[in-house]
Amino acid sequence: MNVIEIDGLTKTYGSSRGINNISFNVEEGEIFGFIGPNGAGKSTTIRTLLSLIHPTGGSAKIFGKDCVEFAPDIAKDVGYLPSEVFYYDNMKVMDLLKYSASFYKKDCSGRIRELAEKLDLDLTKKIDDLSLGNKKKVGIIQGLVHEPKLIILDEPTSGLDPLMQQTFFDLLKEENRKGATVLFSSHILSEVQRMCDRVAIIKEGEIVQVEKISILKENNHKKFKLEVKSDISAGYFDLTGVNNLEVHEHHISFLFRGDINEIMKKIAEIDIANLWIEEPDLEEIFMHYYEKEV
Amino acid sequence: MNMYLFELRAYRKNTLMWTLALTGLALLFMSMFPPIAKEIDEFKKALEGFPEGVRKALGLQVETIGSVNGYYSYTFMYIALCGAIQAMTLGISISSKEVREKTADFLLTKPVTRTNVLASKLLAALTCILFTNIVYLGAAVLIAKAVASGEFSLTAFLLISLSLLIISLIMFALGTMLAVLFPKIKSVISVSLGVVFGFFVLGMVAGLEESGRYFSPFKYVDYAYVMKKETYEWPFLVVGFIIIVLAFIVSFIVYKKKDIHTV
Repeated sequence: MNVIEIDGLTKTYGSSRGINNISFNVEEGEIFGFIGPNGAGKSTTIRTLLSLIHPTGGSAKIFGKDCVEFAPDIAKDVGYLPSEVFYYDNMKVMDLLKYSASFYKKDCSGRIRELAEKLDLDLTKKIDDLSLGNKKKVGIIQGLVHEPKLIILDEPTSGLDPLMQQTFFDLLKEENRKGATVLFSSHILSEVQRMCDRVAIIKEGEIVQVEKISILKENNHKKFKLEVKSDISAGYFDLTGVNNLEVHEHHISFLFRGDINEIMKKIAEIDIANLWIEEPDLEEIFMHYYEKEV
Repeated sequence: MNMYLFELRAYRKNTLMWTLALTGLALLFMSMFPPIAKEIDEFKKALEGFPEGVRKALGLQVETIGSVNGYYSYTFMYIALCGAIQAMTLGISISSKEVREKTADFLLTKPVTRTNVLASKLLAALTCILFTNIVYLGAAVLIAKAVASGEFSLTAFLLISLSLLIISLIMFALGTMLAVLFPKIKSVISVSLGVVFGFFVLGMVAGLEESGRYFSPFKYVDYAYVMKKETYEWPFLVVGFIIIVLAFIVSFIVYKKKDIHTV
């Protein structure tokens, strides 16, 4: 069953950026990643799903119901964590969370305490006095407090320290085990790789690819940078799987995709001064997707 | 209901302050009445020294200023001004709050319709305005009775005082519409003061002509007329009512449709 069905969704703002003809589905129980650089249209898509903005074309359904028409109905089972959290100042954390919980017809006070304990958040503090990371924790709790069936996260990890990110991911995984579907938007590839079953890649308002993480990993490029001691012929690394080969005197760089052993053997045969093997950043992966299209 | 109570709590202090301010203003003005009434002839002579245009613009009626209602209606102009500022500020503030404080992502993703959100906010604000008006009215009557000597028409006094509510409601509705149409209002108080003073000055200038009175809600109730006839002028009330209804209709339609962008 599909929890989210997006069909030809389009949102234009006059002439400026927006999203164009986006289609993908998120199945029940999966953790779905939504990645793309800043300004690619991730937030626009998510805000359309939440009916914060209205589409100019196409449609989106959550739980089989139209996002615009049944927004309040859908919202009962959706938890949303925006990338930046803002709350009414002059309120205590507990009061805000209680207010948030009052919209759902459930008793949530036990769950508020439980989540606050896990995230190590002081409920008696005033919201204005909280640091960015602690405000984010308030956001996490208010997004999860009503045990939603669908959790929508828009670049959720900013402001959280690595330990807290781990706790947060554990929380999400736990919710996921209990049956919640997660839509996770991010521009950080590693966290998406760690969390998600499938991803949609968006660039400049269009979906470039929807893929299983496992397949994406197989296709994953590694970025090689070498410093060699003596000149080598330009054609030395010219083999299948090597892309973007650049040679500047003793510095060589390229992207490699394929059996890592092969390339390591090749490198072992020459006299090297230094070697870096890195995960390519998202931009480079996108470049790769564009190259394939041309 | 939870949103209504939440907003009510948020504006509790603000409403109490305005109520105290309005009541205090009435107390201050009316406490000056007995000494003025004692030397009313001198006072009238001094007022007659003003050119007629100035007297009209200021709402000064030399014949009636010696009576409680006459004096009250003159000072009431400024009380109405304050009430209008309260209502306009409340209208702008309550419906642009989500955008100003960037809490739209919080409130508008909850399982409630936007119509419900706006309605709760407006009801809370109306409760605040009603509270101010009721307390003010009660206090004003007590004060007037204390300073009144001789004949005093309670009906006229009540009608004058109730025009505070009429002006407040119109200003509140206009403020709400402004906030919904231009949600990026950063400084609520400056916009509110600007608009209210605009109407106030317009009332002074355009209000000199009978037809010009329609342009400023401050002139919808003519105090001289109220004192003479002990009733309101219906055409103005109807226009006021239409303004309120239209402003609310526009507000609800726009609020329901508008896009909430990231901050």
